[in-house]
Amino acid sequence: MALLALTDIWKRFGATQALANVDFALEAGEVHALLGANGAGKSTLSRIISGHLRPDRGSILLDGVALRHAGAREAIQSGIAMVTQETSLAPDLSVLENIMLPRIAMPGRLRWRRMRAEAAALVAELGQGAGLDLDVPVRALSIGQRQLVEILKALALDSRIIIFDEPTAPLSPHESERLFEIMRRLVARGRGLIFVSHRMEEIFTVADRVTVLREGKLVQGGLPTKGRRQGELVQLMVGRDLQDIYERATPRTPPPAGATPILRVRNLCCPPLARDVSFTVHAGEILGLAGLVGAGRSETLETIFGLRRAKSGTVELAGERFAARTPREAIRAGIGLVPEDRRGQGIVPDFSVRENLLLAHLGARAGFGLGYASRNEAVRALLALLELPERRLLDANMLNFSGGMQQKIILARWLVLSPRLLLLDEPTRGVDIGTRSSIYALLRRIAAQGVACVVVSSDFEELIGLADRITVLSDGVSVTELPSELVDIEKLGMFAAPRTSAERTHTVLEELVARHGGIAYWIAVENERVFCFDRAGDDPVADPGFTAGGFPPLAETMIAHALRAPGDAPAARLIAAPDGSRPTLLVPIRGRRGHSFGIVGLTLPAAAPGFDAAGVSAGIAAALSEAQIAHEPDARLPA
Amino acid sequence: MSAGSDVQVTTRSPGRFNVVKLLATQIELRMLLVVLVVMGVLSLISPYFLTVNNLLNVMDQSVVVGMVALGQTLVILIGGIDLSVGSLAGVTGIVLGLSFPQFGLYGGILACLAAGAFAGLVNGAIITWGRVAPFVVTLGMMSVGRSLAYVLSGANSISNLPPGLGQLSGDSLAGIPVDFYCLIAVYALCWWFLTYAKGGRTLYALGSNAEAARVAGLGIVRWGILAYVISGLMSAVAAVFLASRILSIDPIGGQGLELDAIAAVVIGGASLFGGRGSIIGTLFGVFVMVFIRNGLNLLNVSPYWQGSAIGSIIIAAVLVERLLSGARGRR
Repeated sequence: MALLALTDIWKRFGATQALANVDFALEAGEVHALLGANGAGKSTLSRIISGHLRPDRGSILLDGVALRHAGAREAIQSGIAMVTQETSLAPDLSVLENIMLPRIAMPGRLRWRRMRAEAAALVAELGQGAGLDLDVPVRALSIGQRQLVEILKALALDSRIIIFDEPTAPLSPHESERLFEIMRRLVARGRGLIFVSHRMEEIFTVADRVTVLREGKLVQGGLPTKGRRQGELVQLMVGRDLQDIYERATPRTPPPAGATPILRVRNLCCPPLARDVSFTVHAGEILGLAGLVGAGRSETLETIFGLRRAKSGTVELAGERFAARTPREAIRAGIGLVPEDRRGQGIVPDFSVRENLLLAHLGARAGFGLGYASRNEAVRALLALLELPERRLLDANMLNFSGGMQQKIILARWLVLSPRLLLLDEPTRGVDIGTRSSIYALLRRIAAQGVACVVVSSDFEELIGLADRITVLSDGVSVTELPSELVDIEKLGMFAAPRTSAERTHTVLEELVARHGGIAYWIAVENERVFCFDRAGDDPVADPGFTAGGFPPLAETMIAHALRAPGDAPAARLIAAPDGSRPTLLVPIRGRRGHSFGIVGLTLPAAAPGFDAAGVSAGIAAALSEAQIAHEPDARLPA
Repeated sequence: MSAGSDVQVTTRSPGRFNVVKLLATQIELRMLLVVLVVMGVLSLISPYFLTVNNLLNVMDQSVVVGMVALGQTLVILIGGIDLSVGSLAGVTGIVLGLSFPQFGLYGGILACLAAGAFAGLVNGAIITWGRVAPFVVTLGMMSVGRSLAYVLSGANSISNLPPGLGQLSGDSLAGIPVDFYCLIAVYALCWWFLTYAKGGRTLYALGSNAEAARVAGLGIVRWGILAYVISGLMSAVAAVFLASRILSIDPIGGQGLELDAIAAVVIGGASLFGGRGSIIGTLFGVFVMVFIRNGLNLLNVSPYWQGSAIGSIIIAAVLVERLLSGARGRR
């Protein structure tokens, strides 16, 4: 018997039939994904399950017993919790109070000490112990952290059924992975999880079965994910084949050598989050800013745009010093910003689509009047470019449109002004896959017209597919800049590793150098290229031929001999170059879920006869495991 | 890559003229209807209501409240509130009375208006730059203003005003008092400003989503302060008309004006959260307020009961408004 069974569910909002004849069944001990484009009805269905909405028709059975919750509170009591898409936190209450909010709503005395201990345990379980203070008000948290509190709130209820409504949207891949681990743990304890998402790779990572909705109707119920391909699901979801969403219309052309970049940022510092950021963007180029939530990406964009003041560092716009004190100055200099929080910083809800489109025009305008008429042509051209239907659009309310459409309109707001530099902060957050691809195509077109674009995203796959080059920020410092065709998600993730974990690996490297001399480093090798994430020691005789943040071709490094040593994996022994120099030890590192976290290496200045290679390897693996970087010593290494 | 699936607009029945829908979407029309209904009811109840004398009286009364309500509308549009308007009308009236002997009629009016605008500037500057809640700042200003009115006047009323002042409300053109023309003129100007000027749209954007307006480069600080300056200025304008009508200035003048003004704005359909409202709606709201006060007087309702009646009507009006626009409402 299913843990939860919904049969023949119908729900209508005004003229919109949100759900029609939808069935859904959740077993105990499974992660069941709800998949669908925006507006497909997955949020409506999950809100019906969580008791926030009542279906017009249909039955809900929990453990075979008809469930009729009068509201979310009854749903919580019967063991159904929800992690919502738009945060439902009380901003003035502390993290602890928010996590325990459902319990505060229950009758009975509050046991604060016990609740604090439980909350602390949950935070630790999520692996966010350092980053989340239980006593700060939620108002002070970033979007990503608030989402974490939402998740903790559901976990605190210890519910039998937890609905995760796009929980990973604001999370970094690292955080998402932690969440998936926790989801697996909850499932192993016999709970049923509903996972609402439109990110394919996540569904394949975490979900056992998937139910696909399209335009309020059931397309496919309870399909096991094992053995399926992404393309199949996309086709079910969109109803047609979707080409490669990152497809490039025109081949990417490198900017001419010596050309003045549109934007050059040098050592920009805007405390507390952005500390030392440098990058350049040329006309017609899309630069990705990769990094985790809190790495200072948004703050960097906001500083360039005049929403924040830089403490130090310089910004050059087309070769000239530029320091915007207000957004207006930035806009007049030809810069546009598509902000991270669409609802909070983008949309003016009481304005029509037309006025929202012309808002930046209004901001840039010097005169007393509106000057809307002068932009009529531009607006019409833009609507055609965006494939928006003009007739219904102009006087309609913004909030009636899907997230994707809203985002297109906010983007178009800047195109009205023909900017030369466009800053985009998480441009596809909460946007379904179909609209995402059209936003990508649009950005390419904008870039092809000579606009320089800077795109911030937590979705590394998106950055790799979209950007020409990627600058990686880690804890407010730009650590490297890579051509996107050379890099993959894993390596971006390792470059972007936050200080807390980077410091631990750095300590391991420092200790190696202190004990054995030479140079220690953390690298990954792929496609004949070495990516160096970190490095310690400065003995020139032991120089491996790369520095932290570098990514030279393997053949150009000084330790090619070791990296090319026979055998599948580097063995636990010192491998010296043919001339006997630079004896090198390489120790592969594996993460919790078994995938590679690169290689920790040690290059010595000269042959060391008494060197216990196997012992040092085991020591490295143990140290990293203790630092929670690697799960356990690699099985292939002799212990 | 078709956009068809992105659009989720609830379809409207096109072409057909639909009174209910028109009323539901056009706040101004709805308010006009309310004004007409109120007039109809009052003329049925009291035969005196629709007489020329009474209507002239009502027009006169609507000028003072109307001037203040105009400034209040701008402040409420940006999501603020100005509680100090009544006190400012009091203190600027005293400024007017005290400056006639030195500066003459026009000099005195100018000094009065300058004082009102300055007080509004203080309000706006503290609220915007100091980031103090408008309620608190204007509540403080309300107290300061009334206190200054007593201090400056020595708690005496001023009555030897220049005769030219009385002409402002005494004269009439085509049977309608001059001050009423002034009221209509400033409302027309304000309507134009709110509809066709950059500053007007900025006020709406600021009230609807200040952060979005800031990112779009709109001068939200400047315009945010200006709304309070205009509110202070309009209090002074009201003080001038008040003085011209009763040809005497009392330090207690304008007391309670803030409540009538806020009520008129709210009855006129503005949202206290900001971003939504209309100046025409406010004008009709002013008429509703004045008609009802007038009607209660005509019906000889005890002044002690009038407060209850007016309070209930305000709450009922806003409740109905909320139900009517509930589908589009937020929060």
